[in-house]
Order: sequence, then C-alpha cells, then structure tokens
Amino acid sequence: MNTAIKAHHICKTYGADHRALDDVCVDVISGEVLVVMGPSGSGKSTLIRTFNGLEEIDSGELDVLGIKLDNEADPRHVQRIRRRVGMVFQQFNLFPHLSILENITLAPMRVQKQARVQAEAKAHSLLKQMGISEQAEKYPAQLSGGQQQRVAIARALALNPEIMLFDEPTSALDPERVKEVLDAMRTLANQGMTMVVVTHELGFAREVADRVLFMDSGRVIESADAKTFFNQAQEERTRKFLNQIN
Amino acid sequence: MRACKALIRHCRFYPIDSVLSLGVIALINWVLWASVSWIVQAADWSVVSTHLPLFATGSYPPDQRWRPLLWISLLAALTLITLIVPIKRGSNRWMGMVLPWCWVSMIPLGLVLMAGGLGLSNVPSRAWGGISLTLLLTVCSAVLALPFGILLALGRTSDLPVLRHSSRLYIDVMRAVPLIAVLFFGKLLIPLFLPMQLEINQVLRAVVAFALFAAAYVAEDVRGGLQAIPQTQREAAAVLGLSPLQSLQLVVLPQALRIAIPALTNQAIGLLQNTSLMALLGLVELLGIGRNLLANPAFIGRHLEVYVWLGALYWLFCTAMALLARKIEHSGPTLNGRSA
Amino acid sequence: MKGTRRWLLQLAVVVLLLTLMGVLINNLAVNLIRTGLGLSFSWLSRPTGFALAEHALPYRPSDSYAWALLVGWINSLKVISAGLVAATTLGVLAGSARRSTNPLLRGLAALYVSVVRQIPLLLQLFFWYFVALLGLPQSNPSPLGSLFSLTNQGIAILGVHLSVEFTAVLLGLSVFTGASIAEVVRGGLDSVPRGQWEAYRSLGLSERLGLRKVVLPQALPAILPGLSSQYLNLAKNSTLAIAVGYSDLYSVSDTSITQTGRAIEGFLLLLLSFLLLNLLINAVMQVLNRAVIRRGQRS
Repeated sequence: MNTAIKAHHICKTYGADHRALDDVCVDVISGEVLVVMGPSGSGKSTLIRTFNGLEEIDSGELDVLGIKLDNEADPRHVQRIRRRVGMVFQQFNLFPHLSILENITLAPMRVQKQARVQAEAKAHSLLKQMGISEQAEKYPAQLSGGQQQRVAIARALALNPEIMLFDEPTSALDPERVKEVLDAMRTLANQGMTMVVVTHELGFAREVADRVLFMDSGRVIESADAKTFFNQAQEERTRKFLNQIN
Repeated sequence: MRACKALIRHCRFYPIDSVLSLGVIALINWVLWASVSWIVQAADWSVVSTHLPLFATGSYPPDQRWRPLLWISLLAALTLITLIVPIKRGSNRWMGMVLPWCWVSMIPLGLVLMAGGLGLSNVPSRAWGGISLTLLLTVCSAVLALPFGILLALGRTSDLPVLRHSSRLYIDVMRAVPLIAVLFFGKLLIPLFLPMQLEINQVLRAVVAFALFAAAYVAEDVRGGLQAIPQTQREAAAVLGLSPLQSLQLVVLPQALRIAIPALTNQAIGLLQNTSLMALLGLVELLGIGRNLLANPAFIGRHLEVYVWLGALYWLFCTAMALLARKIEHSGPTLNGRSA
Repeated sequence: MKGTRRWLLQLAVVVLLLTLMGVLINNLAVNLIRTGLGLSFSWLSRPTGFALAEHALPYRPSDSYAWALLVGWINSLKVISAGLVAATTLGVLAGSARRSTNPLLRGLAALYVSVVRQIPLLLQLFFWYFVALLGLPQSNPSPLGSLFSLTNQGIAILGVHLSVEFTAVLLGLSVFTGASIAEVVRGGLDSVPRGQWEAYRSLGLSERLGLRKVVLPQALPAILPGLSSQYLNLAKNSTLAIAVGYSDLYSVSDTSITQTGRAIEGFLLLLLSFLLLNLLINAVMQVLNRAVIRRGQRS
C-alpha cells in the first residue's frame, strides 16, 4: 500500500492572523478516494491547493508522490509535481480562446512534447469517455456548465495524472447538470484513480468515498471511513454540520 | 427612408423640436447644396488631378514609380479581400490561415519595393514620399511599437520592483511629452546619442521615434488587457504543468491582446494620422506633398481643394483600418461572455 | 531558491539598463566635446533677438530666452484653458446628442464624430487657418459693428481681440478634441443602466431634464477618467500651434534651440514644463473625481 500524499503538521496563515491551515495531518493512500468536507472558510480548498503547490505552506512537512513541497521547494519541482497531479476547479477555468480539442491537447503537446496526432487521439477518447465527443471543435463559451466541467476533467486527465484533485467541481453548476459531472467522477473512481475531492455532495461522498475528512477553522476535526463518518460521527461539530446540509 | 419616418414620428411627439428640426434640415440642405455646387462647379481640381502620381509616390523616380504603386495596390487589394471574405470559425479555414501571412509579408515586400534590392535598383529614402511613405511609416512604426509595448506592459505588471519601476518611468515620461517634441528631438538627439560613424537615414530615424513614442501608449492598452484576464487562468495553466513563460505565451497574452484590439486599433489610427507631423519635420509624406504644392505660386488660393482631397484620403485609410480591426475582433471566439 | 533567481534577474536588468545608459551617455559626451557645446544653461539669460507676435506679458527682442519661454508658456496655457472649456462643451453636447431621441440630432453628432476623428489634427489646423480664417474678407462690415467683427485680421468680441493664429489653434483643438470627448461621454451614458432612462421617462421628466439630472450625474464616474486623458491629449496637441505660427511654448523652444543649438537643455526644459502641466491637469481632475465620488456616496 503506497502513500500518495503525506501531509504532516502543515500550517498556513493569510495576512496577520487568519489561520487557513492549522496543524493539519493527512495521508492519502494510492487508489483511494478522499472526500474533504466542511463549512466555507474551513480551509478545505486551501488544503487541496497545497497538494499541487498552488499554495505554499508556512511550516510542516508535505510530500506528494515522493517530492517535497515545503516553502523551500524548487519551482521546477513544483512544475514536475503538477504534471503528475491533475486538478479541476469550481469555475472550470477552460481557456476561452482555444477550442475544446486545443484546451485538452495544449499541455500534452507543450509540456509532454507529444505529437499532435497522438495528443488528439487521446483527447478524442477522453471526450468520448466523458460523453461529449461531438463538442471537440466548439469553444468553451458555446458549452453548458456541465459540459465545460467535463472538458476540464478531460483536460486534466490528458496528462495521465497519478492523483486527481477536485475543488468543489459541482458548486457552480445548475442542479440538473450536477449529475453528469458526478457520474464522470464516479467512473474515474471505479478505474482506481487516487482522488481528493472537496464537495458538499453527500450522496457522492457516501457512495464513492473511501474516507471522509471533516475540517473547520483550518483544523481537521474528524477523519474516518465513509460508513463510520456518516453513521457514527464522533464529534459534535461534525454531526451538527451533517444535520445542517442534509 | 426609415430615418425619415423616425423623424416624422419623433416630431409628432415633440412639437418644439419639430420647429428646430425644420430649421436644421433647411441648414443641412443649404450646406449640402453649397458643398455640391462647390465641388462640381467652383472648385478647380486640376491641382489634384494633374499631380496624382505625386500624391501617391512623391518624388520617386518616374520610371520606377510602379514599385510604390504596386505596393499600394497590393495593400488595397488585400484590405478588400480581408473585408469581403467571411472568416468564420470552421468554414473557410484556408483563408484564415493564408491571410495573416499575406499581411505579414507586406512589410518586407514594401521595404524591398521602396528601397530596392533583389534585382531592383536602389532608391534613396530622400526620394520616397506621398501615400507610399505615409503607409510605410505607419506600418513599420506599428510593427516595432507592438512588441516593445508588450514588453513594457509585461514589465509594468511584473512583480519584480526594478522591472516595474523602470517600465513605469519610461511609460509615464513618454506619455507626458508631446509627439512633435519627441520627433523634433529625435531628429536632433538620436545622432548625438549614437557613435559618430553611425549615420541613420531620416525615414529610419522617424520610424524609431514614432515606435518609441507609440510603444508607451501600446503598453498601457496591453496592460488593460492583461488586467482583464482573471488570475484563475494562470492557475489553470500552472496546474497543467505549463511554465510561467508558456502560460504567458499560450494562455494570457493571446486573450489580453484580443481584449486590447479596440484600443490598439485607435492607437494604430492615431499613428497613421500622426505621421502627418513629419510634414513639419522635413519628410514629404502625404500632407507634406500637399504643403509643397500649395507653396507653389501657381496654385495660390487652391488650399481648400487640396485639403478636402487630403482629408478624404486620410478618412478613407483610417476608416479602412477601423473596419479591418472590427473584422479581426469578430472572427475570434467569445471570451467570458463578451464577444471579443 | 526562488528568491535568488528573482534577485539575479533584477540584477541582470539593472546591469543591462546601466550599460545601455552608459553607452548612450558616453556617445553623447564624445559628440558634445566634438561639437564644443557641453551642457550649460547660461544661454537662458542672453537676449533672444526674435520678436513674438503675441505676448500677454511685456516682451521685446532684447529680453532673455528665459523670459521668452515664460511668455510662450503663458500663451500655451491661454489656448489650452480656452480649448478645454470649448472642447468639453462641444463634446458633452455631441455625446449627449448621440443618445438623443431626435434622429436628426443623432445623425448629425455621429457624422461629426466619424469625420473629425478620422482626419489628422494638423490637416484640420491648416484648414481652419488657411481656408476658414485667412479666407475671410479684409474688412467685414457687420450690423453688430464694434460688438463683433470677423475678418482675416482676427476676431473682435466686445473689444477683446483674438488673433487669427490663436483662433485657428483654438478651433482646431476644440473641434478635434470635442469629437473624442463625445465618444467618452457616449460611453459613459451607455454605462448607466437602461432602467434609469426608463425611470425618468416614466416619471414624465423631459428628455433634457432627465439627461441633466438623472443620467449624466450617474455617468460622470465612468466619464471622468477618459475625460482627463483627453484633456492631457489636448494639452500635448496644443504644440501643433507651431504649424500656424502661434507662439506657444513649443514654438518658442523650437526657435530658441535652432538659434542656440542647445537641444538637450531645451528638451529638458520642455519635458519639465509638460510634466508640470500634466501634474496640474491631473491634480484638478483628481479633485473633480473625488468630488464626484463623494457625491455619489452621499446620495
């Protein structure tokens, strides 16, 4: 059993006194799906953004796929990590000036120096897997939110990442579009992808998560396997949160 | 016709306006009638019609005139083609690929045609003039100013203090000085700042001064475009493993430049108009030709004819540039909800 | 690690800039020694020997260069301030007209903007000077007599005499800048939500009153930045006065430099005056801007 991400006592402070991460410890094991939950401002987004170096940590130890990511990390190491860790954002963040196909092939061609034919073949198969193969020639502004988010997932997968990070991937979507994105993520989980998912979708967490992490005010309040978490949460705050969003 | 109907309806609702409107319409009719009768009858267009080659090419050797004329015609043809052919995504890819290269090739082509080389005899820049010189000055300065301006904008938005402050100093000083001062002192000072042996010709000196000046304005427009790109675009590029340089080149700049197109178009039109200042500083571009002609006692009192003719030409060039820019702007995909 | 790279990069830029400046200054020094000029400002106190057609202060050719430059600066200020007022009036009128309900007004304003903005200011200045003003008759007997007269010697209104040169520069600058200001005003009006126009119309306010009391005040915050950059443009463009022989600051500097050969010193002085002028205009616009924002917050 390999550990994909090792975070030990990591801290991160914004400005003078806002503690976004306060002594957080978490291990992510290869092949597992970890769901991170918590009220807004609890530090869950900050946490997964540290996993690919979008946020630097102030102290503690962070090891992603065997590469150290502390505040003295070499920018080139960070770049290397990002090629092996895919990320999907709340707001999709597709490149509006590029077509869907170009969005997906950009990194494989420019970062991994793949040939165009190879990159495009891969892109088409990913789009098919996401159920949007007919959209390849369109531009992001012509797609619905749910379709854009599936393109964003395909774009991240095109680099063959070992870990996928999802930062509230369904929060910006119309309710009727949420399912298509969650289905795509479920398929991915079933293929054995290591995933860290920040989400409020209880159904998805119950069904897909191996483990759930509950955070509040920058601290890990509770961490347990999904069954235990939803049925016999230990902490008062966790139970309160679950009641509120249920 | 529709405008007339709108006017009649408007007047029914605003009676005082209708009296005023009648007065204005009478005035417009009178102005129109006076203008038309002047253009057709009173004006003596011989000063223009006998000097058409002069307006186009200046004192270019007559047996070589076909070279600047060819360049002007190619530019005009390319402009027409670009405006007429629909460049929509998906359809007509071929035109979308070929046209930009045609445009880029017009610059070296123009320089070779004007200056000589590749088997054409050399024509010194002293003999260049007229429309061909105006267009050459505009195109060359714009092509130099764009990359320099982009660099300045990047420096101005950099998080390295030295880069930021030096770019800012340059931009602010250049934008504070009137163009004619930059051109005049460029003419006097550029030779003083260069080694003694190095002499550069007058056209090149003007192009350098125009480019140095315009770059400061381009920089501010590009900066506006850069600021309009959300930080999340850079993040998305970073998590895909693109280096900061790749992110700039492939993600940020293409969007920023497209957003800046309307502002940059205004700069380009301003640049074309500003080349007329060289008429005061010893180059005989389009306005310079007009001035030289009017200095000839044979054409005394023909000011209006020459100015109307020049005004129409400048108006045509500037309008063509504006139309071209709009076409380019609308041929790209939508950025963040707005059509850009 | 990251810090070191940042510093190295900046150091490289500094070295590059210093080298560039060093080479330029070295060439300058060599050239100045060769021409025997050197840098000095003592020429400012020497008599100019040239006359100025227009001077608000007493001036004779025996006065110093410094005095002549001051006279030129005042001439510039004169035409710039008159131009600012005229261009603003014209621009606000034309800009509002483009959103008027009267199609005739809309059309006229659009025509004005599209013609004037696509023709070089210099050409327009030549037109005003050589055709519109010098084309006037020598004497123009008018029914208003001494109240108002318009001849190719200049314009007299109520005993104030404006020279042809001044009038040409003023007309050229105001008409040209007015068209740009009209575009700024139109953009500002468009930034006010349509609901505001519908609201004053549904209250039965007249178009003019609604525009003045409801829409324009709300458009001001969007208009002011564009307006101040147009004001700076007008100030810079006033240097084209040299083309019609109006003795503004630039024209006096130009003559002085030609006579003395002091290009670098002249350039520095001109640069300084324009930085001053810019600061002045910016400061005024800042005050205006703050007043507008404060009023916006109060309501």
